[in-house]
Amino acid sequence: MAPEAPQKMKKAKATPKTVADFTILPLTLPALPGLPESHGDAKHYMYIKPNEQNIATADDERSLFIANVPIDASESNIRALFQEQLGGAMVERVEFDGPVPALPLHKRWKGDRPTKEDMGGAEEKRGKKRKRTEDAAVIAEGVVEDADSALPKLWKSEVRRSGSGAVVVFVDKKSARGALKEVQKAVKDGSKTITWKTGDGVGVERYKAHTHLTYPAPSSLQASINAYLSQFNALESLRNKLRKTSRSVPDEDGFVTVTRGGRAGPARIEDAEKKKAELEERRKNNGVKDNFYRFQNREKRKEAEGLLKRRFEDDRRRVDEMRGRRGAVRPET
Amino acid sequence: MSPPVTKRRKLEHSESDDESQGSFAGFDETNGVDLDGSDAEDADDGSDVLMNGLEDLDEDEDASEDAEEDPKKEEYVHPSRKQTPAAKRRAPSLQNAVYTAESFKSNMFKLQLDELLEQVKPKYGKKEAPAENAMRTLKGIIESIPHRDPLPVIEAEKTLKTAGVAVPFPSPRPPKDAPYKLQYARPASVNATGSYPLKTATRAEEGLSIDLVVTMPKSLFHDKDYLNYRYFYKRAYYLACLAAGIKASKEHKFELSFDCLNGNQLQPVLVVRPSGNGDADDFSSSKCQINILVVLPEHTFAQSKLLPNSNCVRPKGSEDEAPNKTPIPTPFYNSTLQSDANITAYLKFFHGTASKADAFKDACILGRIWLKQRGFGSQLRKGGFGNFEFVAIMALLLQPNAETGAQSLSSGYSSYQLFKSTLHFLSRGDLTRKPFIFQALNITIPKAETAPVVFDGPRGQNVLFKMTPWSYSRLRSEAKATVDMLSDSVFDHFDAAFILKTELLKYRYDATLEIPLASLQLESTGEEYDQRLSESCRKIHNSLTRALADRITALSFTMPEQESWSISSRRPMENQRKSILINFATDPANATRTVDHGPAAENKLEAASFRNFWGEKAELRRFKDGSILESLVWSVKDSSASVVEQIVFYVLGKHVGAQVAEQAKFTSDVLAYLVPAGRMQGQSGIAPFLPIMNAFSAMEKDIRDLEDLPLQLRHIRAADSQLRYASVDIPSAGHYPASVVLQFEGSGRWPDDLCAIQRTKIAFLLRIAELLVQLDSGYVARVGIENPSQPAQNQAFLDVTVSAGFTFRIRIYHDREPTLFHRQIKDKSLDTPSRESAAASLALYKREFIQSPLHSQVLQTLCTRFLALSPSIRLTKKWFASHLLAAHFTPELIELLVIRTFLQPHPWPVPTTATTGFLRTLAWTSHWDWRHVPLIVDFSSNFSENPADLEDTKSRCMKSEDLERLQTRFEAWRRIDPAMNRVVLFAATNLDEEGTTWTDKAKPEKVVAARLTALAKGVTQAVRADEDSLLHYINNQSATKAHDPLTPESLFTTNMSEFDIVITINPKHTLNPPKKHKSEVQFKNLDLQQKSTSSFSSSSPTSTPLPLLFAQELLEIYGDAVLWFWDPETMDRIVGLWNPVVTGQRGWKIRAGWNSEPVKKKASSDGCGGVDIKANKAAMLHEIRRLGGELVKGVEVKQ
Repeated sequence: MAPEAPQKMKKAKATPKTVADFTILPLTLPALPGLPESHGDAKHYMYIKPNEQNIATADDERSLFIANVPIDASESNIRALFQEQLGGAMVERVEFDGPVPALPLHKRWKGDRPTKEDMGGAEEKRGKKRKRTEDAAVIAEGVVEDADSALPKLWKSEVRRSGSGAVVVFVDKKSARGALKEVQKAVKDGSKTITWKTGDGVGVERYKAHTHLTYPAPSSLQASINAYLSQFNALESLRNKLRKTSRSVPDEDGFVTVTRGGRAGPARIEDAEKKKAELEERRKNNGVKDNFYRFQNREKRKEAEGLLKRRFEDDRRRVDEMRGRRGAVRPET
Repeated sequence: MSPPVTKRRKLEHSESDDESQGSFAGFDETNGVDLDGSDAEDADDGSDVLMNGLEDLDEDEDASEDAEEDPKKEEYVHPSRKQTPAAKRRAPSLQNAVYTAESFKSNMFKLQLDELLEQVKPKYGKKEAPAENAMRTLKGIIESIPHRDPLPVIEAEKTLKTAGVAVPFPSPRPPKDAPYKLQYARPASVNATGSYPLKTATRAEEGLSIDLVVTMPKSLFHDKDYLNYRYFYKRAYYLACLAAGIKASKEHKFELSFDCLNGNQLQPVLVVRPSGNGDADDFSSSKCQINILVVLPEHTFAQSKLLPNSNCVRPKGSEDEAPNKTPIPTPFYNSTLQSDANITAYLKFFHGTASKADAFKDACILGRIWLKQRGFGSQLRKGGFGNFEFVAIMALLLQPNAETGAQSLSSGYSSYQLFKSTLHFLSRGDLTRKPFIFQALNITIPKAETAPVVFDGPRGQNVLFKMTPWSYSRLRSEAKATVDMLSDSVFDHFDAAFILKTELLKYRYDATLEIPLASLQLESTGEEYDQRLSESCRKIHNSLTRALADRITALSFTMPEQESWSISSRRPMENQRKSILINFATDPANATRTVDHGPAAENKLEAASFRNFWGEKAELRRFKDGSILESLVWSVKDSSASVVEQIVFYVLGKHVGAQVAEQAKFTSDVLAYLVPAGRMQGQSGIAPFLPIMNAFSAMEKDIRDLEDLPLQLRHIRAADSQLRYASVDIPSAGHYPASVVLQFEGSGRWPDDLCAIQRTKIAFLLRIAELLVQLDSGYVARVGIENPSQPAQNQAFLDVTVSAGFTFRIRIYHDREPTLFHRQIKDKSLDTPSRESAAASLALYKREFIQSPLHSQVLQTLCTRFLALSPSIRLTKKWFASHLLAAHFTPELIELLVIRTFLQPHPWPVPTTATTGFLRTLAWTSHWDWRHVPLIVDFSSNFSENPADLEDTKSRCMKSEDLERLQTRFEAWRRIDPAMNRVVLFAATNLDEEGTTWTDKAKPEKVVAARLTALAKGVTQAVRADEDSLLHYINNQSATKAHDPLTPESLFTTNMSEFDIVITINPKHTLNPPKKHKSEVQFKNLDLQQKSTSSFSSSSPTSTPLPLLFAQELLEIYGDAVLWFWDPETMDRIVGLWNPVVTGQRGWKIRAGWNSEPVKKKASSDGCGGVDIKANKAAMLHEIRRLGGELVKGVEVKQ
């Protein structure tokens, strides 16, 4: 939406009911001790509309998009919200964006779109590289993790970044529509207070659990490593084979693809660097010496003079700037 | 009287010229000074001489005298020459560039110097005009004062009393039956002198002071008047007559008072201040005072009688007797008398020098600024080394020296070179031991002379006669420090040399002793009070220096100031409620030594003197090596008093007086107690860390010895502030795990994939854990997971807890990783987030695995070299934590700030206590213009103290090219990111030229950096105010009776009201404040045991505190909408500031990035009101409350 010149609102009462194609649903927050009194009747506002995405998916028509979910929103309390307070529509699942901790960030090719699974933070993570034309599993680096090879989770439950959104997928189209209607009705009516239920798993226990989860049992960790590495090794040998073929077999146009081959251990890099330094050294020693020709001397002098001049100009500029921002150079008192 | 010296008399401006002056040349004749324009011809020959002198003065002459105290000058001549330097400066050409680079240290230096000179010179314009008028008026008045016939002392005094003027006789007062008479006759001349007419004065906030010299006619004196104060009595009478004359003038009103020239009671002067009534004579607008000095015509007395080794004050009643006995020389008296006679001679001398050496005057101004910033002055009580002395020495050095035939300074030198060479001369030799005698033969310096000697032969005077041994040693060390700064080819140090005020007790010294004057019991007799006071000081100085020996590196006296007094009364006794301050700089290596070894018992003579000095404290002891020595043993049991303090009080009591020791107050290292073990105990500040360091080496050895590891270990390196002596608390069982980095030998068998490398590391860690536990030496090891959102970054660490309770967090460093990250950054086929994340990971990797270990290693070395470094860092970190800034600054950055104070300590020496290290760090921080200046630390400098690696460090030393490169890099960052959203502070070292390692990603953000500056300024101001109030107190000027010292805690308390949100953490979950006072006690082993039993058994020792997890999650949830602060040491509150830019009302947007509430726009003119959003602060607080659950005790908001 085109932003318009912001203006101050006069009265808190005049809360708008819609914005763009969103319906604004005010939620009453549970009272908790320790908050300033002036904040006792605070409301949270969710913006709800039918879900439409640029790239349509099959689930679109049975889902709603909610912007600005509370940070402790979870599948269970959203589900409860619709079921208990908004007409009882059945929620199949909720997909959040902006979870905290953030989703693992994998290498991705340009133009690849994040998959649904990535969006939803589902358990399996996609391979890091996928070349569209070739067998994704084989060419990718790393491993597509599965339940066995993934590292244990550190948090029992996620929270959301402030102001993030969620897609609520209902069991069918009808429930989605019904839910939206119910929301609109509640907003219009205004008399019914809809309360937000604190998410489960927040609070001090969550942190305690995290402290505990940070140190997984060695055995389960070992198992996950083993699974990962064996998957990785299998893939790696497959990849090597593939590379070898592409190295040795010309493609249909007669070109041979250059691919990474053999091993490139750290030892070899060090050697290469050493060699490079050596070569440079040799070239230096064998080249024409610096003061051999007169023109070299002359040029050098000229250059030195120019440098001196440039430095002087630089310094002058700096002093001017200094004066500009500090005022006069005066002894401190 | 005056010999016809003068031929160069020029008139100064003849006539009124206020401005005419420009040229000296112009004047001819007449006495130089006509104030009123009229040529004063009154003068007899004498006057001519004066005039010459004056003129000289005017022109250039000595800039040196302090304007304020030396009264010799007036000005008149104004400024002819002002425009030249400025004009020159304006258009620097290439030649200039070449020229300056050589003779001015650097272009930058030269340019700043020019700027400075231009700023400090008075303009000689409208502002000064009223003062010049007043001078002219005064001159007129003085010349018309009637002659007074000779009268005996008593009668003379009486007559003046009726005129309302008390004769300011020096003490001792003249005997009643004095055979001589006092009289007044018209002055030989009246002239301006000193720095004002020379144009070497500087503007200062306390105003100019302009000296007017009245030369008495020779006819008043007899040949023997130099004896027994006779000259001074006549002088005092003459001055009183002047005062009476000016006072009696009907038309002109001035405020008159007496003062002493340079605080020397022999030389009273008349101070003229504006009357303030707004009439024509009122010169208040000039902000200056006029001092009228009375001087002796040259050659009145035989020079040979006034040499340093002659006696001019005969013992009472022995004037004619005992001719065989050589009387005790009176060098101070003689020099004072000579200085009265030489005022004109010096004027000529300086003027001559200035005309030969172009840069002389500018060098004088530099000297003047330098002295002022270091608190030196011609006043006896300020050390007796002021502008006059500086200029005189510089002028002498510019003369061809009779002995060597060569002059030490060349007249072709630039002002900077003159200045530096003069300082070099001052710092070089010890002038008390080896006097500098200029063009004079057969000069004997009496043994009793304690002042340094620069004997100026042609004028027959020791230029430095007013100095004390302590002021001279301070001068030498300051001069040496400045010469060192100026010789540094890399850094500029301009600020340290000229801009910064260095004589600030709290910054310069480590300890202060305050002795009330009353306790010295001098008030009983008024006679010779000054002399007795200075003797007391000398005695205190001698006994303290001998007693403290190598425990201190500097000792200085801050004396109360003297005041002028009304002309109608006698000089009042000094108020005995004032105090003397004695300041010490300690040497940390020796200051805490508990046993002193004296001479061997067989050495009877020395042993006796030792016993005599130390009294019952001396004991004979037999040492391990069989020697039997006199020795002293100081207690360390009594933790409230340091060894230095015990010595000071003991010696004061023994040698100065019991009442002095009783009433004196000693303060030192006042802030150190705020951190555990902040005061140095024993030999070093790092001793408390030894347990953890030892545990670390033991663990390293055990890991190295593990045989079943698949790869060889290359090294294990510390990467944590606890392992580099820099954590606020001393690590003890249950501390937060200390990071270490482990690297294996290179191997080709690692996978070539970042994620797979991380898994392989976990496998290694699991293996190490297993093997360590099997060792059976009490290791507890467990692998933890981190960075779940970044699978390519390090995924795991190993926490190893050793049997003593210390925990180390091991991460594995694999050198293939940076290459892979680099490859990923360069891979154009990847999408932007992937490449950005690779760049971020690479930076993190370099920081954690490369720079942090390196930094730790350097800091370990530095902490052993500079004993006060560790406590200073810890105190500074404590301050950052107390002000809730710690979460925004990496510990390494704070450490760099403190290290800078130690490696580039100028203008002070390296700090030697936690307090000075901390205060100086904050002082620098407070004026660090981080927007335009990078922080650059050269670790390699100062490493030369260790001769072993002297050679190769030389080569590693930073060069100016390196500096240039860093500067360029810094400027590049500012160009890329002018709004400073990403890099705010730039901190580079010679080992880490990135400059952003510790500060990238807005750590700190701009507002936080600005807050740091503001807070540091606050501390600096508070400390300066405290010092001012202390100075007021010792001068007995403060309103309250007692000096109310700054409470250290007040510097460490932050103001909560400035924050929008304050989340109070439930006390159940906060960290226990460390038991500060307890842990300072000596019994570390006990302390350790207690801790290990208590905290070990309780919660698992090594986990991240829950409130910290909560705070970190808040950071992630609210992004840049809220700025969070907390104190990691206590975690008792988390406070936040709304980011007004982000959370203000704005147009509707789906993903604002923060919890929003809709707001109706006021119906705009087109009728349709849209919807805006603004931050829903109340709902956010609810969210926070829900998120924290039981952790949160309450949330408050700013009203």
